[in-house]
Amino acid sequence: MVKTSKKFPGVKWIEGTGEFIKIDIKKCTGCGSCTKVCLAECFQIVDKKAELMSLDECMECASCWYICPEDAIDFFWPPGGTGYKSNWG
Amino acid sequence: MDREYDIIVIGAGFGGPVAAKLCADAGLKTLLLERSKEVGDKVISGLTIPFYGFLFAPSFIRDGNPPFERPSDGIDNYIITDLENEEIILDNSLKVPLPFSPIIAFGYNTYCKPFCQWLAHKAVDSGAELRTSTTVVDFIEKDNEIQGVITDKGEKIRGNIIINSEGSQGLLAIKAGIREKYPAETISLADTYDYIMPKEDIDRIFGYSVKMCWGWDEQKAAPPLGYGNGLMVWPYRNSLHFMQDQCLRLDNQKVPNLRKLFDIYHKKITSKLPWWRDLVEPRIKLRARMWEGFEIYVGLNRELRQLPLVKDGMILIGDVAGLESTELCDGVPAAWFSAEIAAEVAIKAIKAHNYSSQALKEYEFKIKSHPIIRWSISGRNRYNLRFAQKTHNLKKLKRYIHNGWGLGALTTFTSPFLKMVIPYLKKDPSILSKWIKMFFRYYQNWLYESYDYQRGTLAKSSQMKRLTKEERKFLRWMRFIDIGVVLMTRIGKKFKNIINSLSTSMNTFLKSFLPLIEPLYFFILRVSRPFAISYSQKLINFVKKANSATFTVINERGVKYYG
Ligand SMILES: Cc1cc2nc3c(=O)[nH]c(=O)nc-3n(C[C@H](O)[C@H](O)[C@H](O)COP(=O)(O)OP(=O)(O)OC[C@H]3O[C@@H](n4cnc5c(N)ncnc54)[C@H](O)[C@@H]3O)c2cc1C
Ligand code: SF4
Ligand code: SF4
Repeated sequence: MVKTSKKFPGVKWIEGTGEFIKIDIKKCTGCGSCTKVCLAECFQIVDKKAELMSLDECMECASCWYICPEDAIDFFWPPGGTGYKSNWG
Repeated sequence: MDREYDIIVIGAGFGGPVAAKLCADAGLKTLLLERSKEVGDKVISGLTIPFYGFLFAPSFIRDGNPPFERPSDGIDNYIITDLENEEIILDNSLKVPLPFSPIIAFGYNTYCKPFCQWLAHKAVDSGAELRTSTTVVDFIEKDNEIQGVITDKGEKIRGNIIINSEGSQGLLAIKAGIREKYPAETISLADTYDYIMPKEDIDRIFGYSVKMCWGWDEQKAAPPLGYGNGLMVWPYRNSLHFMQDQCLRLDNQKVPNLRKLFDIYHKKITSKLPWWRDLVEPRIKLRARMWEGFEIYVGLNRELRQLPLVKDGMILIGDVAGLESTELCDGVPAAWFSAEIAAEVAIKAIKAHNYSSQALKEYEFKIKSHPIIRWSISGRNRYNLRFAQKTHNLKKLKRYIHNGWGLGALTTFTSPFLKMVIPYLKKDPSILSKWIKMFFRYYQNWLYESYDYQRGTLAKSSQMKRLTKEERKFLRWMRFIDIGVVLMTRIGKKFKNIINSLSTSMNTFLKSFLPLIEPLYFFILRVSRPFAISYSQKLINFVKKANSATFTVINERGVKYYG
């Protein structure tokens, strides 16, 4: 199955990624940096901890992983052939 | 123990397929692995590939026929000091002058996907095996030597040397213990919009020039301070690429709210910047929006620059090796150069059955002493720009822009460029005419949208007719140039030391004399303009009508790359 988004045209997401980004709640201090750099709004802060809402519009840019000061975000590519794709990059 | 492949290349972006093709050409059993479903699905970029990338690229690219969106003749820099009152200064000094523009190009704008597919096609044609939808998740490692890869499907594939071209994040290189995660302040997030726009409008409004904007922070017309900022607009054939980029973490360790800021900047630019508001906005339609991080400040960090690029059984090339440039944000030339050097070293190592880091160290040495790579990853203009911005020092801002993206770039680029040119001339006396033919061929193919694997109508029909008088004259000129080069290199042998030191001191010379030469140069351009315009039109007409065979290059093995 392939998904699209009204907010981000010209990009398709092939299903089957699974949760390729994970937050280690024990390490997270709720600083909010991940919510600031993620243009797809994949994160929110609930009770002073980051929570992953959805990876449906994730562009696999890894900014959340780079920015987390506590190394609380575990990031690895989704399985081959899944996730975002575009002809216009 | 026997391994299934001589070479396993990870990633079919800009670097991987080039390494794969060259290894396959040498008869090595080569596997190219790519995580996306189709090659290029996940490569996001600007993108102008600068001319030096093509000049010094492996010959199959230089003498070939890759797909482009538009040749680029240089940069229009807009220095915005007051957007509301439209106080904007233009520096458009870095441009290929008429009559050479647009045929002799500063670079070529292209979408990543068709280009990476073109490269991957070439690798497959040479005998490399390509597997897409395959994410490499880990390595087979023994006694600290990488002996193969493990895919997301759990498959273990053994190979003698792994050429890793996974891109900037470097997840696998980190896993292999060869590199660290780059700090957030070295990474810029690029927010990219793709717009459809009629070709005639682009021809008229942009011509062949890329537009870049710079300015004071509070104008919110270019992203705020970090290690720097940027706003660029690339004209394509019948679309525009808009990119604003900003470092993830600022000097003061603060993390800007990029999600909010990018929206504010984008709205402000599109509604207030005069040329966008009046000329572009009424004629465009949004087609796509996407983003990607890029490592543009890695080269400025000494420690990061010293990180190893090889380990037993593995070589890093392109972005994962930290080779993206700081000034022009270009990483494609370095990905190609490093791919070619990696292939050379790997082929040698395979022949000698020695895959140790000791054998592969030659690669690291060659990369770290490569004149253009060294120049491109250590430019400081963009970095310095922020001091001018902080203090609102217009004089300094203009100077850094001029030195980075204006004619002043010659004061840092000329020496490394000449250092590259001289050995090429020595190795292949017909290289100059090959370069000239490359520019002409690329332009003709762009005019007719006639590329390898997706040929237009031009090539076949024009190849049938006999060469005209003008075409023969062009070829005579090319031969004349070749003979000139042979004579020059003969004389040059005697004066080797003088020529070497001349090329080394060119930057210093230009630093002192460019300010004097510049006004004269622009005066000559102004005076000769009417003549230059008509001559440029003549050249374009020639290229339009010319038999494509005029610009074809036969390679060392007697094979025409073109077509
Ligand atoms: C926004 C932006 C603008 C840019 N503008 C320019 C420009 O104008 N000019 C210029 O010259 N350069 C530009 N660059 C830089 C240029 O795009 C890169 O330097 C170039 O793509 C590097 O090539 P590469 O082969 O190292 O990596 P990439 O081209 O990124 O290729 C990496 C490939 O590896 C695949 N991959 C990654 N991990 C795995 C895995 N585990 N298993 C299998 N496959 C994997 C990816 O899917 C991808 O296809 C820009 C970059 C960005 C992000
Ligand atoms: S990878 Fe990029 S788009 Fe995806 S969640 Fe992280 S910051 Fe957001
Ligand atoms: S950046 Fe890291 S520490 Fe901060 S909120 Fe996000 S996950 Fe938590």
